[in-house]
Amino acid sequence: MTDLAEIEMIRDSARAFVPPGGDLVRIRGLRFGEAGFDPAIYRQMAEMGWLMLRLPEEEGGLGLGMRAYCALAAVLGAGLVPEPLIHANLAVRLLGAGVGDAVLAGTRIVLPAWQAGFDGLDLAAGVTGAAGGLSGEKRFVYQAAGADAFLVTGAEGGWLVEAGAEGVSLECEGTQDGGHFGSLRLAGVSAERIDLIDPAAALDEAALATSAYLLGVAETAFEMTLDYLRVRKQFDKPIGSFQSLQHRATDLKMQLALLRAGVDMAAGALDAGVDDARRSALVSQVKVRAADTAMLVAREAVQMHGAIGFTDEHDVGLFVRKAMTLANQFGSAAFHRRRFAAMQPYAAA
Amino acid sequence: MSLHSRNDIYAVMSDEEFRAQARAFIEANYPDIPRFSQKRLHFSQSKPWYMALARKGWVAPAWPVEHGGMGLSATKQLIWIEENERFGAARINDIGPVMLGPLLIQFGTDAQKAQFLPKILSGEHIWAQGYSEPNAGSDLAAVRTEAVLDGDEWVINGQKTWATLGNDANWIFILARTDKSVKKQAGISFILVPMDLPGVTVRPIENLEMHDEFCEVFFDDVRVPRENLVGAVNQGWTMAKALLGHERVFIGAPRLSSSALARLDLLARKVGVADDPAFQDRFTRLRLDVADLTALFETYIEKLRHGEAIGADVSIMKIFQSELYQRISEEMMAIGGATAALLEPFEHDPRLHAAGTYLMARPTTIFGGSNEVLRNVLARMVLDLPA
Repeated sequence: MTDLAEIEMIRDSARAFVPPGGDLVRIRGLRFGEAGFDPAIYRQMAEMGWLMLRLPEEEGGLGLGMRAYCALAAVLGAGLVPEPLIHANLAVRLLGAGVGDAVLAGTRIVLPAWQAGFDGLDLAAGVTGAAGGLSGEKRFVYQAAGADAFLVTGAEGGWLVEAGAEGVSLECEGTQDGGHFGSLRLAGVSAERIDLIDPAAALDEAALATSAYLLGVAETAFEMTLDYLRVRKQFDKPIGSFQSLQHRATDLKMQLALLRAGVDMAAGALDAGVDDARRSALVSQVKVRAADTAMLVAREAVQMHGAIGFTDEHDVGLFVRKAMTLANQFGSAAFHRRRFAAMQPYAAA
Repeated sequence: MSLHSRNDIYAVMSDEEFRAQARAFIEANYPDIPRFSQKRLHFSQSKPWYMALARKGWVAPAWPVEHGGMGLSATKQLIWIEENERFGAARINDIGPVMLGPLLIQFGTDAQKAQFLPKILSGEHIWAQGYSEPNAGSDLAAVRTEAVLDGDEWVINGQKTWATLGNDANWIFILARTDKSVKKQAGISFILVPMDLPGVTVRPIENLEMHDEFCEVFFDDVRVPRENLVGAVNQGWTMAKALLGHERVFIGAPRLSSSALARLDLLARKVGVADDPAFQDRFTRLRLDVADLTALFETYIEKLRHGEAIGADVSIMKIFQSELYQRISEEMMAIGGATAALLEPFEHDPRLHAAGTYLMARPTTIFGGSNEVLRNVLARMVLDLPA
């Protein structure tokens, strides 16, 4: 099968499962619940192979590239899927086939606990694995309450830590999208150190997939807003007939076109193979526009909907909250601007 | 005599003395209720603060002294706002003192002034504003809620929406259609309605901050006395515009932006970007915008104090303030890192809440006239550009 056919296939199967605009009744129902997502749906997604997309075929995975992964992520974003697939995929990517069949089948959920600081992509900080066991704290673990185990990352590898193990405590606080972040505290937890597979590349891939997810969020919020501009009447006219709103809607479309092109370009380049610095620069380039565009579309979507857009009962707010929740994940726009400049110093042609 | 001596108190007091007194009063009298709350407190919670202000005679800093206000100069009004912000005092249910009071002072009959102003000052009447309707938002003059005279009573039917803290109020003022045969602006009247009457129903709407700050209010054959009309029949649009002028001065006040700036500063320290030169440049730009806005605001306060009409140019201030507030909130989201995703304030400090500030800043460009409509107004009325 050609690459393009594979990408189309995964996009079609994803759309069959997550229709454009998604099942927002389901999304609303899961908000602010304990797990923040539905483990049964998560298992069905795993059955479609969505946790083994990137795992090489010789290790039993689908061996698909970043283009296929981003195609899937964009569909998930369009449907506001709360199941933490990008995060679970990061754990699989870091551990390889050794993660175990139950994880790939979705019956055992392993989420990465990689972050300690507020921003950036440093997965080493926060914990130490001295002789007395693993100690420290990881923060902002997305949808942590639904995890059976965590892949805790440190400077020299990782540790698989069972959620219920002795010395492990988890404290959760809600995120705007109805999910949550967990703070994972570890006090002398006994766990075996595991080698992580190319962690810098793995984080870049998660950042790129998150950008694609944000593209799906922003495109859908934009479509909803265009629909509203067509039907909402004030001053006896559809408000979409007013030139100032037409210009602003056009500006949003421009940003979305740039973002989509960036996602496709970066995913293609990663699949073709680039060196580490180039890979990081490309991913930063895309994540900057993804974060900025998703936030721009979010605020314009509220503004163009008017007061109804500020109510929780209108669905456009679900997209706004998702953009707010994910814009800074795997590095904010400011972080990625700095990293881009560092990875790819400007040289006049 | 007592009124005159009170007048003298604030007029002769130096600004520094007034600031010291305001600060001391707030610190000594602020009740045991939340400070620095991003969400508006409901009256059930903030009532003790309203009552403390009422006892002191400080509910209405801007009203003239002869009506029970403080008659403060523009500078002292700003000081009062600053001291409230500094302490993090909750905003009271202020539609009565800020919106209706000045309107009644200007357009009300002596009987209306005598009936309503003291009850605003005492906290007995808590007011809501019944302006927008589902199909009359930006196009406010399209209101369809109807008032029909039946003997000595107005009979009101229709629906209002976005009534801020309407679920706290016991009175509401509404724009109602009283003549359908004329141009839409020419058939509107301004009517005062008690909310405990049969036929009035309130439905709170949860906003993006998960707060029931706004309400829908339904009127089903609600009957009020004829004398609850303010001004003349079908002159409601004149009053609506005057009131919107006041509202735009209020939304244009630097209060929201300056408190957001303080939150941004705290957050920057917390997440460790305060010393980043790129951040400092952006922060200083925002800070200077707040400083210039404050200067502009003072000119409008002076106009109000001297009873001058507020012109269409007030929208300059409303647009600038609301968009500045949003820019500050967007900077909080940009620097907040993972904390920007949180539903509740970070580490339980109500000021460390990028997402809350971001969301609360959204409607300021929508209510009080959307910024799009206000730019049209400025183009037509101030720049004199063709329609």
